[in-house]
Amino acid sequence: MIKGRWMLSVCVCLLALASTALSQQTILIRNGRIIPVVGPVIERGCLLIEKGKIAKIGEDIAAPPDAVVIEADGRSVYPGLIAPMTAIGLTGYPGAGDDLDEVGISVPQMDPFDALNPEDECIEVTRLEGVTAVLTIAGTQNVISGKSIVIYLDGDLAGDMLIKKNVAQIFNLGARQQGKYPVTLPGVMALIRDKLNQTKRYIETKKFMEKRSGFKPEDTRGEGTGEELSKPNPEYEALIPVVQGEVPALFMTNNEVMIGNAIALVKEFNLKGILYATADVLKYADQIREHKIPLIWAGTTNIPRRWEPFDHNFRAGSVLASKGALFSFDQLGWGPGNRNVRNLPVPAAHSVAHGLSEEEAIRAMTINPAKIFGVEGELGSLEVGKTANLALWSGSPVQMRSRVEKVIIKGRIIPPASIQTRLRDKFEKIVRERRSKPGSDAK
Amino acid sequence: MRQLSAFFLALLVFQISGGMAQDLALRGGTVLTITQGVIEHGTVLIQRGKITAIGKDIAVPAGIPVLEVHGRFVMPGIIDSHSHIGFSGDDVNEMTDPVTPQIWMKEALNPWDDSILKTLSGGVTTVKTMHGSANVIGGGNVTIKLKYGSPVEEMIVPGVRQQLKLALGENPKRVYGQKGILPSTRMGNAYILRKSFVEAREYMERWARYERNKAAGKKDLLPPKKDLLMETLKMVLEKKLAVDCHVYRADEVVWIIQFCKEFGIDIKQLSHCVDGYKVADIMSRAGVSFGGWVDWWGFKEEAYDGCPYGFKIMHDAGTNIVINSDSDDEGRYLYVNAAKVLKYNDIPEPDVLKMITINPAKSLEMEGRAGSLEVGKDGDIAVFEKHPLDSTTKCLITIIEGKVCFDYAKDSAAAKEASHD
Repeated sequence: MIKGRWMLSVCVCLLALASTALSQQTILIRNGRIIPVVGPVIERGCLLIEKGKIAKIGEDIAAPPDAVVIEADGRSVYPGLIAPMTAIGLTGYPGAGDDLDEVGISVPQMDPFDALNPEDECIEVTRLEGVTAVLTIAGTQNVISGKSIVIYLDGDLAGDMLIKKNVAQIFNLGARQQGKYPVTLPGVMALIRDKLNQTKRYIETKKFMEKRSGFKPEDTRGEGTGEELSKPNPEYEALIPVVQGEVPALFMTNNEVMIGNAIALVKEFNLKGILYATADVLKYADQIREHKIPLIWAGTTNIPRRWEPFDHNFRAGSVLASKGALFSFDQLGWGPGNRNVRNLPVPAAHSVAHGLSEEEAIRAMTINPAKIFGVEGELGSLEVGKTANLALWSGSPVQMRSRVEKVIIKGRIIPPASIQTRLRDKFEKIVRERRSKPGSDAK
Repeated sequence: MRQLSAFFLALLVFQISGGMAQDLALRGGTVLTITQGVIEHGTVLIQRGKITAIGKDIAVPAGIPVLEVHGRFVMPGIIDSHSHIGFSGDDVNEMTDPVTPQIWMKEALNPWDDSILKTLSGGVTTVKTMHGSANVIGGGNVTIKLKYGSPVEEMIVPGVRQQLKLALGENPKRVYGQKGILPSTRMGNAYILRKSFVEAREYMERWARYERNKAAGKKDLLPPKKDLLMETLKMVLEKKLAVDCHVYRADEVVWIIQFCKEFGIDIKQLSHCVDGYKVADIMSRAGVSFGGWVDWWGFKEEAYDGCPYGFKIMHDAGTNIVINSDSDDEGRYLYVNAAKVLKYNDIPEPDVLKMITINPAKSLEMEGRAGSLEVGKDGDIAVFEKHPLDSTTKCLITIIEGKVCFDYAKDSAAAKEASHD
């Protein structure tokens, strides 16, 4: 049934084999319901892709002579979804080991780009469901866990996948490492304050050294120790852009006390903050908006506490939107085990069921995360000049039954294949053949 | 303060638990019977907890309370045949020995556990709440109606054969291998299972010999020692107890089916069976249900081949497909998970709804009393705002045996806020 719907030119099939060549392909999507996210929906429109970018959007666009034409036939064109807080690119085959969570309580210098593996099988599985870009983070098990990158879920080499480096530094207020300082929340706060203060001091000493050329570390009596000036400190180097407010500090929290502490740190150190929360956001909705702290809301499907009504978290999205907070969805359960980033629309669906408008829900998976990570110039909406990251859906992404029928990343039509489609094809055949041979029972 | 809240709790319990088996009529909704099609603007009549009439023009006898559900969707209460709710303490896994059939999960069940209330909010009326997967032979699971606050014995579905938990694969390997004891391999798992049931056969023979001798009037007989582990396995071999096996990999699915055939064990469900689609035909010939998630995969090595497209392969092979939660979280929205089946597979909508209703009822051998809306079955019902496979729907009312156990109009945050004003 799906096959018949698509009237792709034969050349697409041929070109799909040569992947890199395709990224420069001119593609015209015709007769689609276009949801730009930032403007009004075009009920029946066209979208032209040239050189990997969106070149034109309109009700009627003539196909350039070299264009691959995709007949959308009323299907919906949405910008690619953007998932926050993933491990995609760092998750190897189980048993082969993953590359998350370096040892140490504070490892801000860790950069997931250094371990990014374009062959991670999560990439294909995830993008087939319309998620075209993600934030990949270095870890969560450290109080200061490292850097994060926004990547396209396509590319032959790590460099091809990269959209933005050093997007945010991850601070996990809930991280504890057994038997090692800090094992309490006040300890975590003290550790973070100390690291940020030391970084400020480090910046001062660097300036001090620059001012006095010919200065020798041993001359610093009364002005700092020779040790701290004698060699660069990779930990503090990594935190410099954070204390200078250039790179956001992303605070992971899982209760109201941690949220309060995260907001306090943002104010105290004048940081650019991003809040990640799995609970209690409604208590802080006003403060989050007042301090312009964007929120990654990961608690929609979190089970409310005993004294909270059953829909406490399901309706949080709706309340946050009504208060004008900038928020994106994330699914609870982040970690090396989460290979289901494709389920990003699950919290969106629950939130819509409990009062959030569908438009807001879509924004919370597209333009909002793009804004939070500072890539809204490239991603998050269908606008001329932005990267052609989009998907054709049979219905709304907030409907679990909606199918993603075509995915385009950086102007490349993504082949509809993943480890799971390969398993399907292999075993569909095996089971069918065995069924046609009666008597070949389990032995 | 504590006393006061205890008082309110007691009041609440009294309200909710006080006698199930009630009269109720639901009028005007779209009735999804599951087994007998859809009735628009239908009425479902429940008397003394049982469905007594379903149809378009049903006269509701005087005195029976009527819920007007025009524009809503009325379906049988959702059934989750793999859950771990209702245990307030850390009571799911007796992970001290790979063989623990002497333990029974009903003895850890807390009728006031909050997870029961939270699960009711998702239209769920029945769950099989289970022992964990640390042990090759775990404890006896318990199939219950979510009658919050009722005595445990009233929650247990009467007349339904319970199921013993078995587990293969990585979990028992890991738990006991780390302790340096058997099993640390799949061979060890297989050995332990076989050894246990061989012992159970010998145990039965010893008792049979004793009974024979006693019946023959022999004197001075010493009865064999009563062994609680063996007593449970004896129930399995006598088919008084069925089994549910936690198993991921296809090779182990084939193995356990063969094993159960060899020992005459009734295996009703293969849980977390992510590889099931690879051997769908073998499962369906064995009459064992697939129990699992729609799209979980890759969270450990044996889960790596999880494949949401596999549902179509199983459906075509006639496997009884059951969608389980295995989670307090997802147990609240099995209907959302069911809708995902349609994303990945061309399977008719009514068949997908069966995966959370009549199919789990079959897996639990209670299809005679639940899993569909039919005259004579229990009045277990979920009322949804929109069609249950519309992911933006929500459950409005959950009814068990005619009694409203969850009501959005009273239990939602908005309702609670309004009642405080």
